[in-house]
Amino acid sequence: MGRFLLRRLLFAALLVAAASSSALVLTRLAPGDVTTDLGPGARPEEVRQLRERFDLDRGIAGHWALWMGRAVRFDFGESYLYNQPVRGLVARAAVNTGILALSALVVATLCGIGLGVVTGWPASGRWVDWLRALSLLSLSVPPLVTSLVLVMIAARTGWFPVGGMTSTSAAALTWTSWLADTSWHLVVPALALALPIAATFERLQAQSLSEVAGETYLVAASARGVPAADVRWRHAWPASWRPLCGVFGMAVGSLLSGSFVVEHVTAWPGLGRLMYEALRARDIYLVAGCAASGALFLAVGSLIGDLMLASVDPRVTENEG
Amino acid sequence: MSRFSRVAGASVTLLVVLGGSWYFRSATGDASRRSTIKAPEHGGQLVATVRSEPRTFNRIAVRSASAELLSQLTQARLVRVNRSTFELEPWLAERWESSPDGLSHTLHLRQGVAWSDGTPFTAEDVAFSFRVGTDPKVSAVASSLVAGGKPIAFQVIDPGTVRLAFAAPLGPGLRALDVLPILPRHKLEPAYTAGMFQQAWSMQTTPADVVGLGPFVFASYEPGQRIVLDRNPHYWRTAADGARLPYLDRIVLEVVPDQNAELLRLQSGASDLLQDEIRSDDYVPIKQSEQRGTIAMIELGVSPNVDALWFCMKADKKRADPRFAFVQRKEFRQALSHAVDRENFAQTVFLGEAVPVWGPITPGNREWFTPNLPRYPYDEKKAKELLASIGLEDRNGNGTVEDAKGTEARFTLITQRGLGWNERAMPLLVEQAAKIGVAFDVAPLESGALFQRMVACDYDAIYMRPLATDLDPAANLDFWLSSGSAHLWDLEQKKPATEWEARLDTIMTEQASTVDPSRRSALFVDAQKLFAEQLPVLYFAAPRTFSAHSKRLHGVVPSILRPPVLWNADMLSVDAPTK
Repeated sequence: MGRFLLRRLLFAALLVAAASSSALVLTRLAPGDVTTDLGPGARPEEVRQLRERFDLDRGIAGHWALWMGRAVRFDFGESYLYNQPVRGLVARAAVNTGILALSALVVATLCGIGLGVVTGWPASGRWVDWLRALSLLSLSVPPLVTSLVLVMIAARTGWFPVGGMTSTSAAALTWTSWLADTSWHLVVPALALALPIAATFERLQAQSLSEVAGETYLVAASARGVPAADVRWRHAWPASWRPLCGVFGMAVGSLLSGSFVVEHVTAWPGLGRLMYEALRARDIYLVAGCAASGALFLAVGSLIGDLMLASVDPRVTENEG
Repeated sequence: MSRFSRVAGASVTLLVVLGGSWYFRSATGDASRRSTIKAPEHGGQLVATVRSEPRTFNRIAVRSASAELLSQLTQARLVRVNRSTFELEPWLAERWESSPDGLSHTLHLRQGVAWSDGTPFTAEDVAFSFRVGTDPKVSAVASSLVAGGKPIAFQVIDPGTVRLAFAAPLGPGLRALDVLPILPRHKLEPAYTAGMFQQAWSMQTTPADVVGLGPFVFASYEPGQRIVLDRNPHYWRTAADGARLPYLDRIVLEVVPDQNAELLRLQSGASDLLQDEIRSDDYVPIKQSEQRGTIAMIELGVSPNVDALWFCMKADKKRADPRFAFVQRKEFRQALSHAVDRENFAQTVFLGEAVPVWGPITPGNREWFTPNLPRYPYDEKKAKELLASIGLEDRNGNGTVEDAKGTEARFTLITQRGLGWNERAMPLLVEQAAKIGVAFDVAPLESGALFQRMVACDYDAIYMRPLATDLDPAANLDFWLSSGSAHLWDLEQKKPATEWEARLDTIMTEQASTVDPSRRSALFVDAQKLFAEQLPVLYFAAPRTFSAHSKRLHGVVPSILRPPVLWNADMLSVDAPTK
């Protein structure tokens, strides 16, 4: 298990380094840079100073080496857009995205798995077809559309805030009121992110459970008089976890990609929105910092997925050990 | 059909029916919520949405729309150009005397004015602001504070008086000072002396250190979310009835990057004001909200910004290109102008909310617009004749005209990706140009790449909408002069590349340095006529612009310049303010 963990951590470090380096190099190679923001009338001296400030006067290899040298000391450079260190900006946005992603993951897991157990168990009733249809609908609608529809519903009904992370009076709130206010603002973006993932979990859980449901040991348990609920929840359900654990890491990845559009539409101040703004402005160090943070999210998600898989199926660690 | 398919189909139908009935029920709400016109009340807050996050309060160091907005809200100028009437108004300077030759101006400062931290405002603050504002190493407005090629000189006469000296007469006169916010010497001089002025007053600065003479003061900033500005307790201005200003206690600028979400917020009442203009696509939903009585939509007028198409005509770069031989002929550009049906263009591209235009100055710029310029009405026959007159004909019958050497009039037209009006304009332009045998291959680019290619003249043709920074042509000399950095078709020429550009330089240099308004006007008509005859840039339609705000907001005086509503923030008030 120790070697398994070590390998996964090494993989995570490599993923973060590769993603942020690629982001830095690709931003350098793409047409335009931060000096574009100065407009066509910029003085050459102004352009030169700005290029120097962001090390754009160096070759790509030299620039990458300089940045990497600083990044290993957790100095990710300065943002052009915000005129402050990237580390603080990315950390703050990552926490916000983490709150959103975790909430969405909890909602998706509870709803998806709960409904999957219901719809995957044989002879659960006619309304299961409705649940399946709803699940397929959620699966096929991208988070962009879901978030727009939910924002529209929020705007028309007034049931939830239309966007943002807190109310305009948030600064004056007590800690508990702030938490309640943030949770209230979480509903729309978290639902928009959670729905397609919940649908994925529901489908996987249902399929996996229906495969397990025919196993002879469950028939035998029923024949021995074990209550039906126990057969389903205590015996069949744990046996159906493996495929779900396998996609858990990927779900975290899709949460991150989904957050790009959801954060934009719902004005949630997270990593996806920061990355989008950084890319538009060619804010090179901010792009690299956001990519590093995104890769860290993916690596952590993948690690959690692997650990869950290893806990339900020890063969995974044994094969790698 | 399986039972599952029937259930899925039925559920989708049910959702659509329920959603539709709910939508139409809410769309026909009562109009009884219309607010009535009342005397302004003190108190309350206004929530406005902005699409991009402001980065600084330092307007002198950074030229951006968001810095300008914050500057309008928190700082003040010596004189102000009223964004509605375009008249020059006394502001921190309550009166002034100008010498007859327009070279010297003595400004008398308002007495008893204090900064938002209570420190008295003096002429030393004005001197400091001029010193920083005219320093090209740190100032983004230095080029606007120049007369006769030299920075405006300043002298403190006494604590309440300053004298400005222009090296040559300046057409806009004291209007040029509208770009210069007066900064607190006691707060910013240390940063300037230490060479850190450009980093000063970022969004991380402690609010107490951002002091100003404007109606509001910086209260708090939540990154990615909002900026909160509170009423300046030391604000110097009062209303005509003697009431203290501003009326509002607070302005909250919420950052909402998505325009659709921004619109929904306004419709739901979560915000009071869209800071940016309304897209033509949003006209109908906002009109519906207006009919329900929750939102007021105001027409700002015809935009001073107009979409434009031009070819790179930098001879050094294009001499080897065989197409340059006909691109540089005015007949070629005139033919293209004849090929475009501008009425149809306005209908299709701006959904009818636009007017046809023939030059860079639109009817929205009431003071400088000239209606009697040479025009090129839609006429395919005339266009083909003009092309034939310079040897361009469809010799091989492939639908595209060629010159005698077989060089086709085929161009790559680059434009900015992701703009709705651009996406509608491109097919129309391609189709109309094709009718006279000119072929365009469209390449939408991201804005950074577009500007990079524009500056390097690495393009055949560009279609975009350059933004006017000022309505006075003397403030846009970088567009008109051949040496200008915004002389779109041939940037920053060392000497005029053509005889007509030399003539244009002469006219515009005189126009910018003439004080007599009627002479300035006559000279600018000459410049526009020359421009319209040579047609280095083709213009098609200028959109009508609209702004929308909540009905609870009062005192709105709209402007076609940015910020369209908040330029007048000290006079805004809201219904039933919370005390």
